[in-house]
Amino acid sequence: MTPAIRVEHLTRRFGAFTAVRDVSFHVEKGEIFGYLGANGAGKSTTIRMLCGLLAPSEGDAVVAGHRVSREPEAIKWRIGYMSQKFSLYRDLGARENLEFYGGAYGLGGRRLRRRIAEVVELTDLAEVRDVPTGELPGGIRQRVALANAILHEPEIVFLDEPTAGVDPVSRRAFWRLIRHMAEAGTTVFVTTHYMDEAEYCARIGLMVAGRLAALDTPAALKRRHAPGTTWHVEAPAILRHLAALRRLPGVVEATAFGRGAHVRVAEGAPTGEAELRAALAAAGVPPTLVEPVAPTLEDVFLAVASADEQAAGTAAAWEDPA
Amino acid sequence: MRRLLVQLRAVVVKEARQTVRDRRMLFMLLVAPVFQLVMLGYAVNLDVDHVPTVVVDQDRTPTSREHLRGLLADGTLEETARADGVAEANRLLDAGEASVAVVIPRGFTRDLARGEPAPVQVLLDGSDPNRSNIAGAAASQYFQGAALDVVRGRLERLSAAMGRRVSFGTIDARPRIFYNPRLDSAIFMVPGVAVLVLILATTVVTAMGIAREREVGTLEQVLVTPISPGVLMAGKALPFVAVGLIDVTTALTVSAWVFDLPIRGSLAFLGVATLFYLMTTLGVGLFISTVSETQQQAFMGGVFFILPAILLSGIFTPISSMPAWMRALTWLNPVRYYIEILRAVLLKAAGPADLALQTGALFAYGLAIIGLASLRFRKRLR
Repeated sequence: MTPAIRVEHLTRRFGAFTAVRDVSFHVEKGEIFGYLGANGAGKSTTIRMLCGLLAPSEGDAVVAGHRVSREPEAIKWRIGYMSQKFSLYRDLGARENLEFYGGAYGLGGRRLRRRIAEVVELTDLAEVRDVPTGELPGGIRQRVALANAILHEPEIVFLDEPTAGVDPVSRRAFWRLIRHMAEAGTTVFVTTHYMDEAEYCARIGLMVAGRLAALDTPAALKRRHAPGTTWHVEAPAILRHLAALRRLPGVVEATAFGRGAHVRVAEGAPTGEAELRAALAAAGVPPTLVEPVAPTLEDVFLAVASADEQAAGTAAAWEDPA
Repeated sequence: MRRLLVQLRAVVVKEARQTVRDRRMLFMLLVAPVFQLVMLGYAVNLDVDHVPTVVVDQDRTPTSREHLRGLLADGTLEETARADGVAEANRLLDAGEASVAVVIPRGFTRDLARGEPAPVQVLLDGSDPNRSNIAGAAASQYFQGAALDVVRGRLERLSAAMGRRVSFGTIDARPRIFYNPRLDSAIFMVPGVAVLVLILATTVVTAMGIAREREVGTLEQVLVTPISPGVLMAGKALPFVAVGLIDVTTALTVSAWVFDLPIRGSLAFLGVATLFYLMTTLGVGLFISTVSETQQQAFMGGVFFILPAILLSGIFTPISSMPAWMRALTWLNPVRYYIEILRAVLLKAAGPADLALQTGALFAYGLAIIGLASLRFRKRLR
């Protein structure tokens, strides 16, 4: 089966700055492919190149059977795109936006009316379809943008940070829609910086400073990049004592996580719960909680990013979504 | 083809919806032009009359008073001050309280009676050349006529004394004025003002349209659709063609009513010419918007086009009195063609046959500039 997207050595420079550097991967048909990375890591630039919005500086990609370098317009008929910033007309209602974009994709008459009814139903917009989108709350607005992206039944949908700034309940509902679309055979290429959302993806590409630092299924990524045991530790002012934890034998990583910290210890190292408790007690902050946890994609991301940082000597700004 | 029409219709409907919803924009497009037309129509009045005049009558005789009355009779010059001497008259000219001074020196009547040359002095403030020209001409015309009367009177007295008729022939040139017999400058200027108002409403608004979409980010979503630049441009222009036609219709109606503008030619032909003209002004707007990153740049670009287009159009200054190289430039100016068409159709009832060149040029320019805008419009970001 030919992949839905095949990316070959894709590079994009803006002046002296290289936003995307020599990225290669492919996405299977009907797959949910997650693209993870900090702000400015090159996620949006990649998506824009795959949608035919930006010309690659080097390399190429085949999207829905067409090369982005040579036939960007042919690609546009077959993909849907939801940009990071809400970019539908705020002075028009959802229905009016859908009528315009449907028309732009050549849909008219009865077929357009039928498709609008379908996507309005799917994304649960019936009650607000005539309210100017500028007056809608963020979560609903994102659903309008999604409805718009899938209106013309594209083979591939590109969703750039579709849930940024959306409340958790809406986010969950949104991901139900995404899974629903993938089950129906649509290929979904989605970027996010919510690690919990990334778990929903079949495969994940991790972008660090313009390069694809890792690519695999979530489970395989955790096995490879977060081996050993991960401990969740909570103690007063723990952030000031991470250095003490890092000095323990076999500790690969000690980073802030939620209200406490995650400490990852290499396989077979002599550091366990007792050693962690002792180290913190010695530092004057006896821990309130020490327990082993399954590594999350955030652990993976931090491991990959710090390894990359050491390798490349560059720092990617990690911005908390909150 | 069907697909193109579907796309075009979608753009037109969307633009129309957005425009209709934007109250301020509607006001700018439909109401403001009428106000501007009426105000500018009154302001841009080239008729010169009531020129403030200081009168210095040092002769103080019934004859001198009679001549001053005659000079002021037609209203071109209006006595606003009286002075005793030339020095005081000069001061009033310097102070700007008068633009003309008429000095009748002492001995004027005596010299006339003796049959000697009787000098009269007319001083003009030349800072407004057009005005002083007309004021000077009015004064010369009156005193030439008066001089002729003096000669005629003397001849009559001579005839009576000699007992036979002595006469002399003069050249009698009487211009007859066609199309605008009262030389009402409003009738000439108002079509020009209508053109001016139309270009403001169409070029700047379209220029800012795409730039605004680029600025607020909605353009990105449009660029990812397979819509072609030509369809997008045409769709963005069409609603404003309707706006322009409405504007011209109201402008003509209001002008006919307020300024007695005659409408002598074919309105249908005028409609077609207006359509072609709108293609050029809207096309220029679209072109500007494809080269502008921000609304501010687009606005400046619009002004950058409009100013020379107006100045080189023959609306305010006759093209025939421009230097040769500038006259050549006016052939590139769509506004020039449209104002020629408008004036000729309204005042002279000219038809398509008389204005084939102008109409053809507008059509060609319109197609060219919209085509250029479509070519220039990139569907890629930078």
